[in-house]
Amino acid sequence: MFINWALQEINLKIVYYGPGMSGKTTNLEYIHSKLDPSLTGDLVSLKTKEDRTIFFDFMQIEVGKIKGKKPKFNLYTVPGQVYYASSRKVILNGVDGIVFVADSQPHRMEANIETLLDLESNLKADGQSLESFPWAIQYNKRDLPGVESLDVLQKRLNFFNVPSFEGVAVKGDGVFSTLKSVINLVVQNVQNQL
Amino acid sequence: MVQTRKLKDGSRQVILNSTQYEGITRVLSELANKTKASAILFADMSGQLISQRGNTDNMNTTVLSALAASDFAATSEMAKLVGEEAKFKLLFHEGEKRNVYLSNVGEAFFLVVVFDVSVTLGLIRIYTKKAIEDLNGILDDDSGAPAEDEKLIDSDFSSLLGDALDDTFK
Repeated sequence: MFINWALQEINLKIVYYGPGMSGKTTNLEYIHSKLDPSLTGDLVSLKTKEDRTIFFDFMQIEVGKIKGKKPKFNLYTVPGQVYYASSRKVILNGVDGIVFVADSQPHRMEANIETLLDLESNLKADGQSLESFPWAIQYNKRDLPGVESLDVLQKRLNFFNVPSFEGVAVKGDGVFSTLKSVINLVVQNVQNQL
Repeated sequence: MVQTRKLKDGSRQVILNSTQYEGITRVLSELANKTKASAILFADMSGQLISQRGNTDNMNTTVLSALAASDFAATSEMAKLVGEEAKFKLLFHEGEKRNVYLSNVGEAFFLVVVFDVSVTLGLIRIYTKKAIEDLNGILDDDSGAPAEDEKLIDSDFSSLLGDALDDTFK
């Protein structure tokens, strides 16, 4: 979180994390397409020619002034592919809240778990942990046939009982509720400690 | 020192007071005047733009800062791979019309100078070096703090923010 008293700005960094092709970029694309252009900047995507995120996507959103303060939210995604591990680590620098976008398909369960462990180890390296960090899970692709039951997903992925949401990011289902929930967690967290 | 505190969850909060912000902006203005740089940005390593000077109207400086921070992050990983123990202190991108000179300011901040190829790199280097010394001095000086007693985020704020988000995310 970066606070600029002179401009009364509060800047938060929210990172979308998750395995390859789980829908992190799709979440940002949906937000970008739906928000009033006056409140959102460009969506920048650093992609390979196969459309995989190679470094990150970035977008800033605003919600206007609140009690004279100007909150701004910087949304980032990380590349999901296993071999971009070092990119994921650097994007977490200065993170305030995390949206974990899980893929609901049974054959992606291992990838979900592996990515969560990767996230935890990156947070640990910076003295943080999923146990106390503000984060939420979005179980994405709920519209696909044969997806894992919510019960199983919760048991295997949500071991800290963080807020979780069902998502169909291409249609926008669950996209805003997940983001709002993480922003709330971050703000509550700050409020409790000031 | 810039006020930085670590919250219980481990996340970091950086607070810049008004004196520091004004000082930074003054240094950037001087640097812009002396070098005739097209644009100068000061940002933190997480990608957060703090101040800018020069002709930035047609430049998306928010995105430029995010990309520049990643540039630093990527090259510091590169440094490790090639056996350089410290981080690379400066990065230079040479174009046909414009060049970009990036230099870190302490561990947590950096400066981006965008300039025409007609301006010599030596000039940019000399004045940027001086500006970085000044910036470090400003960041180290916390006399402008008692970082305003006022509570930045109270319960009122979070409920109003909730409403604003509902409104925005309709």
